[in-house]
Formats: sequence, structure tokens, C-alpha cells
Amino acid sequence: MSIRALWIISLDKAENVSLRFSKRFSTVEHRAKLLGGKAYAPVPDEDVVLQLLMTELGLSDPEKSYVPLRDNCSHCPRSPALELHLSPRERDTLWPVLTVSQGPLILSCLPLVDAPTKPRPPLSSLLSVSKGLTLLSGLQAFLLSSGGKTDPEGLASRLALLPSVLLQICPLGTPLDVPILGSPATSAAVTPAGNQKQPAWKTGLHRGRAAVTVALTEVVRSMQYGNPYKQDLWDVYGTVTCKCEVEGVLPNVTVTLTLPPNGSPLQDILVHPCVTSVDSSILTATSVDGSDSSAFWGPYKFPFSPPLEPFRLCSYTSQVPVPPILGSYQLKNEDDCLHISATLKLHESVKNSFEYCEAHLPFFNRDQMSAVDVRVSYGQLDVNREKNLLVWIIGQKFSKSREISLEGKISFGGPVPGPRDPMCSGLTSYIKLYFKVPDLTLSGCSVDQHSVQVYSTAKAKIFTSRELQSKEYFIWNSTGSAPVSSGQMIL
Amino acid sequence: MTEQWAEKVLLFCRSPARFLSASGTTADAVHAELLRELRDDRAQDHVKVLLLAPYCEHPLVLCPSVSVAEDSALELMSVFSQCSPKVFPLRCHLLVAVTSVLVCTDCVRRRSSAVQDVLELLLVIVQDTSELHSDGSSRSLRATACDCLREMEACCPGLLSQHLELLGALRQRESSRLHQAYTELYSLVLRNSVLQLAQDTGSGPEQLKALLEGDVCVASEVTQDSDLMNGKDVSALSSLVLGPMGAVPTLQTGPECKELRSILSSLLEDSYLLTSLAQSSLLQKLIELVAMVPGVSPSIFRAQLLRLLGTTEVSLLHTTLLMKSAFTDSLFSAEDEEFLLKRLVVLSQHPLLSTAEKLFYLDCLLHFPENRPIGSGDRDEVLPVLFTPQLATALVPTVFNDRVTMLTRFNLLSMVYVEDGEDEEGKGLAYLYEHLVALLGIVGNGGNRDTVSTFFRASFLFLSHFGHIENFSRHLIKRLCELYLDHTHLAPQLINLANETQSKLPDSNFTVALLQGFQRTITKVSLTNLKSQELTCHLRVLSRVAEERDIPQRPTLLFLSAVVVASASSPLGNWRLGNSILAVCRCLLTHPDLDSMLVTLADVLQHMSSSYRDTDIQDHSRLYYTLLTNLSKEKLAGVLERGTATEGDQVKKRSLSCIVAESEGQASILTIHRTKKDVLKLVELNATEPRQLPEDVKDSCGSVDAIVDYRSQFDGPEFASEVTVRYQLVHSEENQPGSPFDRLFSIRLHLSLTDDHYEALRDVSVPCLLRETPPPVISLKLRPRQPYPTTLNASAVFTTQDGLTWYSNLPNIEVSFQQTFCPVPVPPAWGPLRRLDLFNALWSEICGGSEEMVESAESLFCCGLDRGALEELLQRHLKTFVLEDDGGGGDWHEVRAMVFLPPLSHLLLKVRREEDAVTFDIATDNWRLLPHVNSFLQDITSSDTR
Repeated sequence: MSIRALWIISLDKAENVSLRFSKRFSTVEHRAKLLGGKAYAPVPDEDVVLQLLMTELGLSDPEKSYVPLRDNCSHCPRSPALELHLSPRERDTLWPVLTVSQGPLILSCLPLVDAPTKPRPPLSSLLSVSKGLTLLSGLQAFLLSSGGKTDPEGLASRLALLPSVLLQICPLGTPLDVPILGSPATSAAVTPAGNQKQPAWKTGLHRGRAAVTVALTEVVRSMQYGNPYKQDLWDVYGTVTCKCEVEGVLPNVTVTLTLPPNGSPLQDILVHPCVTSVDSSILTATSVDGSDSSAFWGPYKFPFSPPLEPFRLCSYTSQVPVPPILGSYQLKNEDDCLHISATLKLHESVKNSFEYCEAHLPFFNRDQMSAVDVRVSYGQLDVNREKNLLVWIIGQKFSKSREISLEGKISFGGPVPGPRDPMCSGLTSYIKLYFKVPDLTLSGCSVDQHSVQVYSTAKAKIFTSRELQSKEYFIWNSTGSAPVSSGQMIL
Repeated sequence: MTEQWAEKVLLFCRSPARFLSASGTTADAVHAELLRELRDDRAQDHVKVLLLAPYCEHPLVLCPSVSVAEDSALELMSVFSQCSPKVFPLRCHLLVAVTSVLVCTDCVRRRSSAVQDVLELLLVIVQDTSELHSDGSSRSLRATACDCLREMEACCPGLLSQHLELLGALRQRESSRLHQAYTELYSLVLRNSVLQLAQDTGSGPEQLKALLEGDVCVASEVTQDSDLMNGKDVSALSSLVLGPMGAVPTLQTGPECKELRSILSSLLEDSYLLTSLAQSSLLQKLIELVAMVPGVSPSIFRAQLLRLLGTTEVSLLHTTLLMKSAFTDSLFSAEDEEFLLKRLVVLSQHPLLSTAEKLFYLDCLLHFPENRPIGSGDRDEVLPVLFTPQLATALVPTVFNDRVTMLTRFNLLSMVYVEDGEDEEGKGLAYLYEHLVALLGIVGNGGNRDTVSTFFRASFLFLSHFGHIENFSRHLIKRLCELYLDHTHLAPQLINLANETQSKLPDSNFTVALLQGFQRTITKVSLTNLKSQELTCHLRVLSRVAEERDIPQRPTLLFLSAVVVASASSPLGNWRLGNSILAVCRCLLTHPDLDSMLVTLADVLQHMSSSYRDTDIQDHSRLYYTLLTNLSKEKLAGVLERGTATEGDQVKKRSLSCIVAESEGQASILTIHRTKKDVLKLVELNATEPRQLPEDVKDSCGSVDAIVDYRSQFDGPEFASEVTVRYQLVHSEENQPGSPFDRLFSIRLHLSLTDDHYEALRDVSVPCLLRETPPPVISLKLRPRQPYPTTLNASAVFTTQDGLTWYSNLPNIEVSFQQTFCPVPVPPAWGPLRRLDLFNALWSEICGGSEEMVESAESLFCCGLDRGALEELLQRHLKTFVLEDDGGGGDWHEVRAMVFLPPLSHLLLKVRREEDAVTFDIATDNWRLLPHVNSFLQDITSSDTR
């Protein structure tokens, strides 16, 4: 339920480690001592924790290629909970030490184990573990709220706010909430007069014009091999983000997602905790059981009472029958140069209207490109400044035929070696697509403006939008080997 | 000013011990300084907030005893009452600090009087709804007070049982967002109260009803009944949902417990209004309550279940697992179970969840709380029965995973295919192997350190599950040999893999085959273009190969022979290379096939002894050559016995003949091993030697002379500058008889200082420590620079009978202030009268305010002690220092004591009994000692220690 200590560590490019913040919760430590009895191991000084944590994360001694304590192959880090050995004595271990890391930050905490420690209890019996993870990711989002970029000053100023933030969300080691990101748009701090209790996750009440914005974003990922023995893969996941400016302590809003007759059913639906009830038919469809047993095609209703800040109402995955862009890519070594050809084909069901569309062709483990003789049937081709990447800018539209191609020769012989990627050796190479299509979803899913119901005194303005984005959209060279990326290939 | 404090507080919080020693202060002094600043009206509020951090994080350092804690709590409360009601953050921090101090020092469990005051105050705050004007973004005082009460209740279950009804009413009444704090507090108190009833065998429905309706008599009876210091208390701190209802105490109420049911329903209804984190805690407590009261059906949770199963929040979904584990099929049908399992699989790979969350769900899969668990008892990783290979395909590892996810999935899938009985034809297994080969390819293309260690871990996992499948292991060995040839720097990783697979799979021939593969690969290498680093790696691998009895060593020997010939004339032939060659030779000397290799090996050694470029290597080669040609095989093996045959901790005797070989044997003889437990400890000896005072020379020469005579002795720099503290060196309790540490030799104790108040200590040597003989006595000669209490870190290096050298830490040695007390070093001929003269002279010098005595100080200490107690105290603590006066101690008018603290300080005491109090007049020529004197007197006069 509670955590004993919290550490925030930063790691710079030169792998220098520094402790930026630490906090011990003495009353929880007191409970740990009572619960642990003879097996109790106190939390050591910060520098000791730091050293052990770095070893366990494989980050210690970056200049040595093999360190027995760090690299022994029988020691497998397998769960989110690390074990730190304070001394060779068996009982001197700190467990379970949770860590999350992103960019330059590593956040770590030690949850209280409120169960007998021998035999070691499973994580699933310790609520403090999931609470600790939630706290850590909340703090991480707060500290990196400038958008994941390294912004040392912003980070330092937010670190300085931590003591007062922790007083609010975790005063005595028991996490109560996660930090609020940014200040909500309108927060009139008026306490409601009526009997209705104000939700603890709602910092104030909205005053003013009512408006509800619902944005549906679908992301498509793909791995295309152009190889009869390797099945091409693609998947889609979507998120529905809402911003609700509605008066009342606990106003009711319902958002309904609908599918067209030929749409793909939504699977693996996850909902925000403000959703008041979930129908079992919405939850049963999953992507993992193979059989397409569910006959539910919506509508998917999500009744909820909104918090003040924007939030992710729900997310889903979907199995669509075809990828939006089908590509093929071939490389051949000819004499001293590389012969290269690629085609991209936009599926007819996809609207030919992009916000942007680019194909990147990186070349690894080679020298810089010295001569590029490549023609494209459509769009424009650029070579980046480092001369190791071709950028094919397709722009807002594919050609009328919906099929475009690229062909030519490249020689590598520049004075500087290009970037290395151990995965892309020999002819193992890929095209990565970046595109965004407004007002489109592959699953067909949509939010009708009229289907958004707001039960409130004032009539609310409703805004809805949808878009499709690519992420990790790879087309592998079919003449080289390509890494496998999913277990669907086993089937 | 702020920055100064910020720096100080930060340093203190990071390591109080280091802070105290670095700044040369005591915790008492820091405590006093913090309090002074907190009471100072001129200090800014945000500085005061800063100053409270040490109380929140290290209350035990600042308040080591109950009495200090009580005083500090009251001090902080007075700061609280004096600060303006508008400064919420400071007042909130003050409440948190007071709570931390009282909880950690055990005051709450002892229900000390300060705790009663604080509890009253907190209960007043939580009932005070006049605080409506608080601005919504800053956390209100009321909520913090609720949190403090909850923490006290959490650390001391049952503390607030008497207030259950009040807290329930407050929760109901509160409609602002603060209701969450009240709900958390109320639900915890309810849980603990019902637990107390359940543990009390005589309780039934009436008691429960009375408790819920706030019948104070019953409620207080409940709290009185539970003995707060017994073992139950600790069990109440731990979670009750562990397995299928196993150890949960139950309260038999019959079907009628409407009141409780309606309370639970109301809490569940409101749970939606709490933040996810608070909601999960509430649900956990409700699960525990329902588990304890069979009269309430678990179906009460049904309405919430879908909402919780559909959630994206890890802590809320976690509560469904807790429910599953507590109620199994009374809440979850077989269909529900399958649904939950699929949900876990979905969550373990959902693209929108964080890596840590996904790993958590993966872990939950392997500890899935099944309705009908097979082989309960052991809680190790088990696959759920319903987890099919079909479901598992969603979780196959890929090269795009991060390292922990990849290894976790690799392990999971290996378990699935072992369970499924897959053989080499199996598609799943083929996938795993292909994945391993893909990883190997990345390593071969220059993957980074992380990829390398991940690949070797994955290989180990694969081999431990499927090492018996010939096809895969043969192919893997081939690939590993190729990998090694291209990347000889991977030798340590490959040897580690060989060692670990050998100890994991003692019956498998994989390791032997792998090493034989390496031997084949290496011995085919042409020597012409070999770099010296590569050659060193090859020899390192070959010496590991030579340890295997089942591998014929002929190819190794031929390779060695070629290397020796080549190195004799090339610059390669340095000491390091020679040593690597000898390491292989040494392993060959003990190999069972030695007879067949005798001639060639002798040639190699002879060649090295005559023409190797390094003389040291020549010498050692000659030694090996002589041993080889003069000893029988058995004797040779005896001499070179590597001693790696370990049985538990018992290690055979080692011979020093392997000293040149860079091998594990040498490493273990030359390295100092660390003991897993403390083996030794030092126990203080209290014996003080009786003093024989010489008769006084009749004519006292007056006090001035006495002081001059006395002082003249200090002209010699070494005079009386040492304190001797005597200890016994004994085996520690953790070290049970019968261990290899029963007989220890050449013990060298190293004592290091943790501050700079003392001169560095010399190491102490003890010849031996044997269980059967009396423990040796050690006199530590401390040379204080300032006679302050200190902590010494102690460690020992010693040898065990098997010839290994060990390093062990000893528990820290606490040198108390009192231990630095010495009798005043008067000339040996002085009798009691002269001593008295000296006392009087020093006293009047100190108290006379003479200008030379700038360091001196007087003080007074009073306490209540009866006569018997005082006498006992003097006898126990000050006997050596009391001056015998003419009065002969029969009359209890005044006792004078004179203490010398090396190197130059004196402490003089006049102890008088007056009416009902005892006063200690204190005079010292070193005012810095006063805080320590004060602690010392407090210590010996307080009831705790007497």
C-alpha cells in the first residue's frame, strides 16, 4: 500500500549518474521494521543504493565489457521489481525495487511488503507494487511534461517543486494521486453546495460555456517483408481523447463509437476510470484468442463523468483486412554500387489526402553515399546532410494511379563512415513510412457529433475529429534477411 | 540563508551519520538548532518547511528516545499553534513531522501523553469545517490531519477504534473533494476494528453492531483487550489477502449483518469518486473486510467488476486479482477466470501501456490466482492451466523488445513449450531458436554491451529448458564457435555460459561439447596473424577446456607447443603470455590423460624453461618440469590439487604451487573472500581495576602548588593522552558452531574512524581465535583529539584452516562519552588530600572566571532521585572518580567527582541532595563537552536506563 523511499536519478549522455532527488518515508520504514522482524534490511545511504541500482540495471562500469556481478548469464532480470543485494549476507536485500526510465531520468521506489517475506510473495499479492508503478509514471510525466525533450532547466524547476507536490499526493508514503499536468483550463475552486460529493479527481468546477471535444486517433504499424515465407503484418490501435467543459459537480456525458457495416470490430478495449459503467459485450473481444467468436459490432457506449483536464477516454485495437500502403523494396549489389528499387501502393479504400507522407530509406554500416542516381515516379527525393538517408517526400497525395515507384543506383564511398546498426547488416535494410491522414480511421470507427450526449443545463457545443497516423511502419528489403516481429508467424 | 539551510538539510537527509561526523556536531545539537530556527519568528515559512524534512525523514536520529521525541513533538505543536492559520503548507508539514516523530519513536504504540495531545488536536482539526475558504489547489489542513491519523492507525492498528462512528459520520457529511481523505481514514479504522473483533474469539454479531454504532464501552473494550505489544499487532499490519482465504481470521455473524453490509455498499458506491490510487486502497480494505465477515457475500463486488476489468489503470486492475485470490470461485466463474486471464495477456503486450506495467502483468500471469490451483504451497512461477500456446503467441519475444521484456517473454514461452511437450519439430520451439540465432547475429554484427549480455542470458534460458534437444544444441555450439572466432573478446561471457550451464545441467554433455568445439576452433587457428590479445583469450578458453576430464587434450598440447616455439623468438613472449601458457600447462598436469601427453608436455615446459624471454616464466616452467618428471601422477595431482572441489562452504586445503597459474585456484587463494555473515564481534569488557591510593603525605602544600605540580606533568606530549578500552574478540551469534570459521588464525583487526575526533587507530593483530579456548582480550588505545563519543567501523582479515583468507565486517563499535572518562592522572604518590586540593584548585579556576580559562564553563543539572537510587548511580557510574573526603561518605551532603578526558579536558562534578531533588554542579574547562555531559547525566538518571 505504501512506499518506503523514492529516488530520482538522471543519466547524462556520458553515462554520468547523479541523484537528483530522494525521499524516505520514515513511518513506512517503521512499519517495514515491524513487519520484517529479523529479516528487516534498512534502506542504506543514497550512494549505496545508486551503485547497486546501476549494477542491476546493467549501467555500472560502462567501460568494462564483462563484469561478473552485472553480466552473469544465469542472473536474469525478469520482472519490474529488482532485487538489490546490500551485502553478501542473504538477508540484506532490498526487494521489490521498482524502476521506470525515460530519456535522461530513472525513477525508482521501494514499496512496502505487507506480507510474510518467506517464501517471497508474488507481486500480484502486493498492492503497493502497482501503486508504486502508478506513482512513478505520474511523477515521470510531471517531470518530463515538456514533451520528453531534455530541458535541463525545466526539469530542475519541476524537481524543486517535488516536495510540495509530494505533500499533496503522497504526504506520508501512501500514494493518493498523481501530479496534475499543467493547470486545468477553468478551475473555479468553489465547493459545491448540494449533497452530491465532488469527485476527488476533479480539482474544481467548470463555469462558462459548455463544450465537448472528442478526438479519435488511430495508429497503424506494419512490417512488410515481400517474402512468401514471411507473412506481412500490420495492426491498428486507436485512442479517444476528450476535453469536456461542462458545468456541474458530476455531469453525465456519453460518447458512442460506431462502426460502418464493413468495419472491423474493436478489441482489447481499455477505459478511463471516470467511465461509470462498461457493458460486458464491449470487453469480450480480444486480439489474443485467435478465434473471431465475438459477434459484437457496436455501438460502443461510454457513459462517464469527465474530469476538468483532457483525458484518454478509451483505447482499442483492431484487425483490419489490408494495410493502407503496401510496399515492396529490393536491393541488389551491382559492381561497386547498390541497385535499389521500391514501389508503394495506396489501397483503394484509403482516402488519397494526406497531411504529410514521407518514406525514409536509411543506410547503415556503410560509408557515406558518394553518388546517388535515383529517380522517383512521383514526389521528390532528398539526401540528408549526413549522406546516409534518402528521404522520399510524397506530400499530400499519391499519383492518380495510387502506385508510385523509385529506382536507381547508389555508390558508397564518402570519406566518413555512416551510422551503425547491428541489426541492419548486409542487405538487411528497410523503408520506414511516416504519414498522417486526417478524417480517416482504418477500422472505420467514428464518433458522430450527434451521438455525444451531455446531460447538463446548458446546451454543449460538440467537436469531433479523427485521424490516422503511422508508427513503426516498415517495409523490409525482400532480398535480405529481416527480423521477425510477431508470434503470428508461428501460426 | 535559505540556500545554506537547503544545503545542510539535504546533506543531513542523504546521510545523517556522515553529516554529523563531517560537521563535528551531535544529533542533539542539530535538533536544538533546528528547533531554535523553527521557533524564530523572523525565519521565513518556506525555510521552516525545509527544516522539517529531517524530522520527516530521519526522526530516529534527531529523537533517539521516547522522552526526546515527546518533547520535540510538543515543541513542534507549539510552533504549529503559533503560526498564522493562513500558512497551510507549513502547518501541513508540521503535522506530518509530528506524526513521523511520534510514530517512529514508538510513542504512538506506547500511547504516551504527547500522543494523546496530538491525537486530540488532529481530531479537532478533522471536525473543523470552518476552513471552507481554503484554496482548492493547496492541500487543506483537514486532509493532512486525516492522513496523519491514518498513518498512526496504520502503524498502530486499533488506535482509533473508539472514534469509528465519529469518523463514519464525518465521511458521510463531507461533500467537497476532501471526502477521499475521510474515506481512506474511515475504511482503515473499520478494517482494523473488525480485525480486532475477529481475532478475539468471543466476539459475534452483537459486538460488531455495537462497534459500528459507536457504543464506546464496547469499542474501548476492544481497544483495551488487544495487547498492543504482542505479535498480533504485527500481523494486523500485513495484508490479509494472500491466498484462498487461508489465514484470514473470521468473525462469525450469521447472515444478519445489515449494518456492515450497508456501510460497505455505501463505500463501494462512492469508490468511483476517488482517485484510482485511493480507490484501489479502499477496495483492498473492503476485500479484507468481506473476507473476514462470511456473513457478507463477495457478490457485493459484482457490480464494480466490469468497470475494474475494463480499466486502463494498473492499480485498479490489480484489485481484481486480489479479489480473485481472496474469493476464487465464489466471485469468479470459470468463464470469468478465462476472461481475466485473456485480459492479462492483452495487457501484457498492449501498445499503449508502459514497459513496467506490461512486465508487472507478465509477472501476474506466472502467479495467476487460479480458482483451483494445482500444487499450491510453493509460490514459484507456474503457468496457469488455461494459458494455451495459442494465447502465448501474443507474447513471443522479438528483437524489437527491450532487454527485460525480451527475457521475460523468452522465459515464459520456454515454460509454455516445455509444458506443451514440444520437441525439435515444434513450431514454437523453432521460433524461439530462430530468435536466439537472430540475437546472435546482432551480437556478431557488433551489438552493444546490453545486447551481448541479453543474448547470453537468452542462451542460458534456452539451454536450461531445451539443452537436451541434440539438434538445437549442436547447431548452437557451431554458431557460438563461429561467434567466438570473430569476437575473441567474448571469451569471459562464453566461459561464464559454459560454467553456468554445467552447474545448471550437471547431466548434460552440452558444456563438454561446447568446450570441445572451442578447442577445435582455436587449435585450427593460424598463429601468424594472431594479435596478443586474441592469443590471451584463446589460452584462457583452452585452460578452461583443459579442466574437463572427458576432453582429449592432444590438440591443445600441440597448439601450446606451436605457441611456445613461435613466442620464443617474437615480441609476443612477455610475462603475461607466459603466464597464460603456464595456466594451461598446469591444468594439463592434473588431467587424467597425463600419461599420454607426458613427453610433449615435458618438451613444452623444457623449451620454456630454457628459451622463454622472461626469467620468471623460465623459473616456473622449470618447477613444473621438475614436478612432472620426478613425481608420480598421484603425487603430482596431490601437489597441484586445485582445491576447487567444494562442498558447500567447505573448501579443501590449497597448495601454493599454483601461484603462478592465472586460474581460478590462484584467484581464490590470492583474493580475499568476503564472508556472507558477520563472523566476529567485539564485546566490551567492563572490569575496572581497583585503585590503591597511597597514603597522603601529611603536609598538604596548598591547592596552588597542587595545580602547578599537576600541570607540569603535561609538558611531555605523550602524557596521559590515551584512553584504553578493553574488548573481547568472540565469534558472533550468526556464526554457528561447526562452520568453517570455528578456528581462525592471524586475525588482523582494522578499525577506522567515522569522524576526525580521534587519531587514526593502528591495526590490531590477534594470533588466533578458537572456539574451545577463552576469547582473546584486546585493548584499544584511543587517542582523542576531542573526547567525544564516536563510532568505529571495524573489519577483520583472517585465515581459515583451509588456507583461504577472508574479510569480514564486524558490528560497529560505539564508543560512548563515558568510555573516554579517565581517572585524573595525578602523580602516583598523591593521596586523597592532594587530590582534593587539585579539585578545589581547578574548580575555583574554572568558576573564578579567570581570563586564561576562556574555554571553561559551568552548568547545573537537576533531577529527582531518592537516596538509594543516587547511591546506586554513583556506585555504578562514577565510583572511580569520586574523591574521598574526610567526611568519609557517611554524610550525604556533597560528593565530588573529578574526571579527566584526554588529551586535556577535565570534568568536575559536585553532587548534592536537596529536599527532593539532586543537583549536579558541573564545571569543565572545555565548554564543548557540555551537550555530551548533559546527555550522559540524562542517560544515567533517566528511568529507562536505571
